[in-house]
Amino acid sequence: MPNEAKNPPPEQGENPFAAKAHSLKRRDKTVSILLGVATYFILVCTAYIFLDIALKGIPVVFQTEAPFVNVEFFTKSPETLMTFETEEGDFFKMNFSDYSQFKRDNPEVNIVDEHSHAYSGGGIFGPLVGTALLTAICIVVALAVGLTTAIFLNEYATKGRFMDTVRLAIMNLAGVPSIVFGLFGLGLFCMVAPVITDTPMDRALFTVPIIFTDNYLSFEGWGTCMLAGGFTLAVMILPVVITACEESLKAIPMGFREASLALGATKWQTIKKSVLPYAFPGMLTASILGITRVAGETAPIMFTAALAHKDELPWESAGSIGGFFSQSVQAMPYHIYTVAARIPQSEYTKPMQYGSVFVFMVVVMSFAALSIFLRIRYRKKLKW
Amino acid sequence: MSQTEADQQAGGEKTGKEIFKRKGFQLFGLGRQDVIRYFFGGNASLAIVILILICIFLAREAIMFFPDHHAGLKSYRKGGQELVGYVIEEVDAHTKFYSNANIAYFAEVNRTSEKEDGLLRAYRSGLAGVEQVTNKTWDRLDRKIDAAEDLVDDIEDLVADDEGELNEKTKLERKLVGLEKWVESLRSDLKGQVLSAVELDPIWVGVGIPRLSVQERSMLREAVLFEAYPDAEDEHESIQELKRVSREKKATAAEGLVEFKATVKAMQDAVRPLKSLQSEMIAIASENRREIDKFSTAPARRAALMAGAEKTGDPEEKARLLVRADEVEIVEPDYVKLNEPLYALVPKHQELVATLEVEMGRLFQELPDSVETESAKVSLGRAEVFYRRFQDKLNLARAEMLVWHHDDSLSIVGSTSAFVLGRNWITNSSWHDFYGLLPLFTGSFLISIIALVVAVPFSIAAAIYVNQLAGPRQQQFIKPAIEFIGAIPSVVLGFFGILVFGEALRAVSQISWLEWVPGFPMAERLTILNAGLLLAFMAVPTIFTLTEDALDNVPKAFTENSIAMGATQLQTVFRVIVPTAVSGVIAAILLGFGRIIGETMVVLLVAGNKIKIPDFTEGLGVVAQPAHTMTGIIAQELGEVDNGSLHWRALFMVGMVLFIISLLVNFAAQRTLKRFQKV
Repeated sequence: MPNEAKNPPPEQGENPFAAKAHSLKRRDKTVSILLGVATYFILVCTAYIFLDIALKGIPVVFQTEAPFVNVEFFTKSPETLMTFETEEGDFFKMNFSDYSQFKRDNPEVNIVDEHSHAYSGGGIFGPLVGTALLTAICIVVALAVGLTTAIFLNEYATKGRFMDTVRLAIMNLAGVPSIVFGLFGLGLFCMVAPVITDTPMDRALFTVPIIFTDNYLSFEGWGTCMLAGGFTLAVMILPVVITACEESLKAIPMGFREASLALGATKWQTIKKSVLPYAFPGMLTASILGITRVAGETAPIMFTAALAHKDELPWESAGSIGGFFSQSVQAMPYHIYTVAARIPQSEYTKPMQYGSVFVFMVVVMSFAALSIFLRIRYRKKLKW
Repeated sequence: MSQTEADQQAGGEKTGKEIFKRKGFQLFGLGRQDVIRYFFGGNASLAIVILILICIFLAREAIMFFPDHHAGLKSYRKGGQELVGYVIEEVDAHTKFYSNANIAYFAEVNRTSEKEDGLLRAYRSGLAGVEQVTNKTWDRLDRKIDAAEDLVDDIEDLVADDEGELNEKTKLERKLVGLEKWVESLRSDLKGQVLSAVELDPIWVGVGIPRLSVQERSMLREAVLFEAYPDAEDEHESIQELKRVSREKKATAAEGLVEFKATVKAMQDAVRPLKSLQSEMIAIASENRREIDKFSTAPARRAALMAGAEKTGDPEEKARLLVRADEVEIVEPDYVKLNEPLYALVPKHQELVATLEVEMGRLFQELPDSVETESAKVSLGRAEVFYRRFQDKLNLARAEMLVWHHDDSLSIVGSTSAFVLGRNWITNSSWHDFYGLLPLFTGSFLISIIALVVAVPFSIAAAIYVNQLAGPRQQQFIKPAIEFIGAIPSVVLGFFGILVFGEALRAVSQISWLEWVPGFPMAERLTILNAGLLLAFMAVPTIFTLTEDALDNVPKAFTENSIAMGATQLQTVFRVIVPTAVSGVIAAILLGFGRIIGETMVVLLVAGNKIKIPDFTEGLGVVAQPAHTMTGIIAQELGEVDNGSLHWRALFMVGMVLFIISLLVNFAAQRTLKRFQKV
């Protein structure tokens, strides 16, 4: 802040040759201080939110004795928390499964003042796994389609009006609200997408018999499942991925391609050897940014994939590979939504709420930090 | 796929060595380069097809909303419900007017006992606060006392029955002693809890509680202690005294307001005949609607029975189902006959309304011109507004009802505007489901406006500061930090809004010297303001980053020239750089708006989810009310409706509206950027 750094102008009378303490300068200084205050106000708000969640979440996630981490919180799925008192006035707090065990073991104990707190016991393993799976499906699909589309748009497509329109449309779609993508995913993936089955459902849009087999290609949708959720998320970030990948391809100087082509390399060799390697960091950043955005989204998976409660982990209940992907999952953001707004609040729900939010935020934030770090690093490194 | 094949082929590069060898890799007569090209092209088209599919699928469900909605409105008209709707509106308009007059009356009555009432409220809040802390211990104590009493009874029984069971008796007595010890310790616990709870500050603040003086506080503290522990039969003398004084003052105040009271009472009585007419008409129209629904679902029921008969293997069952299918009557009801009783009631309604209008006009004149309290003045002012609306509504409804006919045609424009401009979003109703966008749109729009008003100055100030004034070290730290905000998942922010920010905002709103702020003190935690402020926070990174980019793109020469001309740094910033970058700034604001209006989780969690157009008569105080939003309603209701129902399609239509809004905003942003770039 050059203006602030200057010494205050000398008093009148001390030095008759000094410049007048101009009101302009004073105004300049006030305005720049105001601007600074506004900037730091934003940062203070951010810090406050982080600290509030961290201070209340850390006691849930960590503990003072070995192993210092609340293992149960990371290895169990959410379940109902029971609080009750015995006739003797002893207070107990335990998960529902332990509670049933306790009652079986101590039939003589008279339980009074019993309360149940939905989703407040156990841990967050199920939602964490679900979010990881959804994100993985989404990133695989989005990168496969987005990367190739970007390569086509930037390397192969002839420049012209049509391509500009396509690009404009893609850019516009990046701003469409996520809930609208949720609606679309529900309409397409959950209700119309094709499946191969021998008994097509009535609601199928239409069915096509597959020759030489008894099966049909039935456009009846995948139902509410992981695959539908992952694809919906993929479609949601597709515009972002395409735009980001194209940006990083565009940033590579034309000379690289020209030099390669001049040496007799084919188009594909040029792309493979002298374009993609240099565009790689940008694409990596884009995909990590995509992960950040996708992992935090709730609206698109609300009706396409997420489930508030599930006893089994995905691999426990899956019969086959197809079965694995066609089951609904718990997901962190949806879990947070559930514990924040859809259950009666009490002091016993707080640890679950803050613990989940803290862990979720740390995970998402570390991806965001990674992408920012990588971007800054490669920006410094790659200069031509 | 073909790419992998292409890769394998890429290993053997021998072209040129053997001239007569078949040329490289071929697939359907295409060379390798072409295959690769088409692979990429295919993927690009796939992406484009998907993006087109989005539009198609949204539009498919959304457009199908209109015919269904049209049909629904048509049966609403044919069954005469629309006619009754006018009467309902009249009564509602009256209620609004009347209740404001009523509020004004009570404000006047309570004006002299304000202090006592405030103290009593504080007392009640304090007592509730203490009870909240202690009620668990109380429960425990009660249980122990009960158990002890049971034990005493048991011991007595033992003595009476058999003197030989001494052993048993000593055992029970020992248990009793134990219990009594428990009771003792619980009592002392309780006392400690009460004594510490009564010192907590938050239990002494709340809506309508004045700032307590030390004296008042100690008096209330004593009264609460008296009541809370040990549980007293009567309330503390000071509280009884307060109540008595408050009652007396109210009685004295009411004496001076006998006329006012009579007027308000007369207002309430005046509408009675209209209300009974309303319920009579509602009964008829509901019956009509049932008839119509029976007719409209008959074909489907019949088809379902037929289908059931087709599928079943049991011939007896089949015959039975077929008979039942034949029994389903598909006879269109005689609408003229259905509506006859309603038409018959119209003249009576005209009569009632005429007398009601005269009566209410007289009563309105009788309302006192000058009142003493500020809140009564406000309520009377609002009563006047609602009186005018009531008059307008009466005149309008009266005229409409005379020309109304159940067979009037309903245009597509009419049903569309019933959606776009409809003031009600009522679903799962036993009367009629209304799908009006206006309450949701107003909610979304108000929240976005608040968010923008807050976010724009902060983010632009931050962008200017970072880009122009801050040193490189500050830049390196602030830019990623603000971008970091964008990565906070929205559900986390919503969670923060519910648990922390809502409480904090309400507490701040109750600080007495902040009362001048419109809408303060707030009674609700989840309000438009809360959602707006959180969304402002969310919009900051978008607006900041884009504005910063725009400022960065201003050529260096501009700055240098300006400085060389002798301008100060800030003059350069505000007169040269910002005006040059203005297109970028506007685009940034527009994109920020797009981000805010499409945000779902924060508004779903924090906006209060009340489907009603906020009451604008409160001026800027409207921000303290809860609202519902377009995004929130989809998230909330879509999971609970049947696929393909009218409600489902209405939600898709809302999604379509959001889609169009966001496309328009994006388009406008890009146009702004382009237009100013040319200049």
